[in-house]
Amino acid sequence: MESRILKPTLAIYVALFILFLYGPFVVLTIISFQQGPEGGPQFPIIEWSTYWYRHIFGLTPPSRIAPLPFGEALLRSLVLALMTMVVSTVLGVMSAQAFRRKFKGSGVVFYLIVLGMMVPGVLTGLGTSLLANNVIGIERHWYTTAFATHVAYTFPFAFLVMLAILNRFDASVEEAAWSLGVDPWTTFRKVTFPLIFPGVLSAMLFAFTLSLDEFPRTLFASGRDQTLPLAIYGTFSVEIHPNIFAFGVLTTLFSFALLSVYGILMAMSVRRAKKMAMQEDIA
Amino acid sequence: MDTSVFRLDGVTKRYGDLVALDNATLEAGANEYISFLGPSGSGKTTLLRVIAGFEAPESGRVYFNGKDITNLPAHERGIGFVFQNFALFPHLTVIQNVGFGLTHGKSGLSAAEIERRSLEMIELVGLSGMEGRGVDQISGGQRQRVALARTLTMHPKVVLLDEPLGALDANLRSRMRNELRAIRERLGVTFVHVTGSETEALAMGDRIVVLDRGRIIQVGTPDEVYGAPASPEVAHFLNRFNLFDGTLSGGTFNGVFGAVPSPQAIPSDRSVYAVRYDRMQVLPVSAKVSGPSFRARFVASEYLGSSMMNFFEAEDGHVIEMEHHLSLGAAQEFEPRQDYLLTWNPDQAIVFGREASR
Repeated sequence: MESRILKPTLAIYVALFILFLYGPFVVLTIISFQQGPEGGPQFPIIEWSTYWYRHIFGLTPPSRIAPLPFGEALLRSLVLALMTMVVSTVLGVMSAQAFRRKFKGSGVVFYLIVLGMMVPGVLTGLGTSLLANNVIGIERHWYTTAFATHVAYTFPFAFLVMLAILNRFDASVEEAAWSLGVDPWTTFRKVTFPLIFPGVLSAMLFAFTLSLDEFPRTLFASGRDQTLPLAIYGTFSVEIHPNIFAFGVLTTLFSFALLSVYGILMAMSVRRAKKMAMQEDIA
Repeated sequence: MDTSVFRLDGVTKRYGDLVALDNATLEAGANEYISFLGPSGSGKTTLLRVIAGFEAPESGRVYFNGKDITNLPAHERGIGFVFQNFALFPHLTVIQNVGFGLTHGKSGLSAAEIERRSLEMIELVGLSGMEGRGVDQISGGQRQRVALARTLTMHPKVVLLDEPLGALDANLRSRMRNELRAIRERLGVTFVHVTGSETEALAMGDRIVVLDRGRIIQVGTPDEVYGAPASPEVAHFLNRFNLFDGTLSGGTFNGVFGAVPSPQAIPSDRSVYAVRYDRMQVLPVSAKVSGPSFRARFVASEYLGSSMMNFFEAEDGHVIEMEHHLSLGAAQEFEPRQDYLLTWNPDQAIVFGREASR
């Protein structure tokens, strides 16, 4: 009885949700195929074309619309995201590992770490910029001050993911390795790490994607050279052409590619995790 | 025990207010099979983990091969440990599991030599042909063997087993019991086996160590422990005795069954009268008996194959068990909810009492 009303209602809700989620992307995609260079970001489509995609890569004859100044910004953002991913994940794994044992002040340390994702980004960015300029007296760069804010922001995510993974981790396999005369560091490399790898993968994904489109912290902390989100925002203030939509479609496709790689790696490690679960069932 | 392998000296371990181990002292010889028996929470697993080096004691020392290893980390002790859940490495194959310690430890052996020794051990535990399988592709009993083989390839002098048969079904358990003994005898290693099952402890141990609330309350051969439990607690864990509370004074025990002369009471804080299940006799209510006796109502019986267990309920609600070995003749038939007279030969009872300690 209940499901006769509940199920359709939920189905409609989910459908609406998906519409809102992907609606903007669909509109974006359609407009990106606008005719150029005269066509603007509006309906109806004058004529379908791949003009703006070619425009991004400088394959169109010169026109009054300047190519997007994204080349270097994109490179910076990717490098920054990679750096952030590596550092945050390493920190996340290490600190979560530390939290497996209760230590003095662990509660305080926990909240100090998690604070990094709670504090409004604008505050962190502004504070970092003031700290660098007025207190320490160093120049701001995307790879120094902005990098620090990115790590402070993504580290808590990596930490929480690893904490959840290690919470469910059966420590007896580590003890078994020790009792076989294998030192703790080798045990970590050969036993613990392979078994928590799915979690590490998730932590990496979190850190990378959060850093890649980080805006408020970077705005204040990055100094002269812009990252991709800042560069995109910069173009909005002049005039909007469909090339920005074409670019949006390309970055989204890149994200999907990234997710697929994550999915494949995950599926491989989950198969391993299943073995682990089966072993625990017997216990 | 001229060749002591390890020795515990006054080992104490607390978890907050809870005393997990209270001044435990014990010595184990080479080539011995020791069972730790006790209820859950008695500290038997903690004791094992202290010996292995997974837990550090608050006070007391642990000696191994004559050396003080109290502060030595687990991986430098050379003591084997078999976990209840086996704790196999799920991402490795059978042979990789078995060779793990040799490969990643300080053995310094060549890959070929490691493979040779691993295969040898796999054969010893009867898993030949399964080397290449993942540990999820083998049965529970086979996993148990992998766990054992993995430990034995390291040639430890002592192997600690934490309820190693607990995860197996009954059939497999009795088979692995025999195999464990056989493997141990072939290798001449000391096994320390933790169990909550009194039958397992009696069947497997050369010596039994009985633990209760963090304290070692009796050490002895299965025969000694079974025949002469040192305290009411030991008698209780053995699960083979009817225990009656009462008072002991002037060499006489007073209980629900009347006063019984008990000149040879074992010193104890509590006054308890213990009668083995198979020493109980059941008579009609009208029967005349000279010894101790009392009335109880028949509740139910349970057929165990080689014997019959009969359950009676005394007037105070106390359940009394009577075991009849079927090899001694057919079992008596009892009427449900009927009263019977329970009696026994007082010479075969064991009496614990406070008085005797004076």
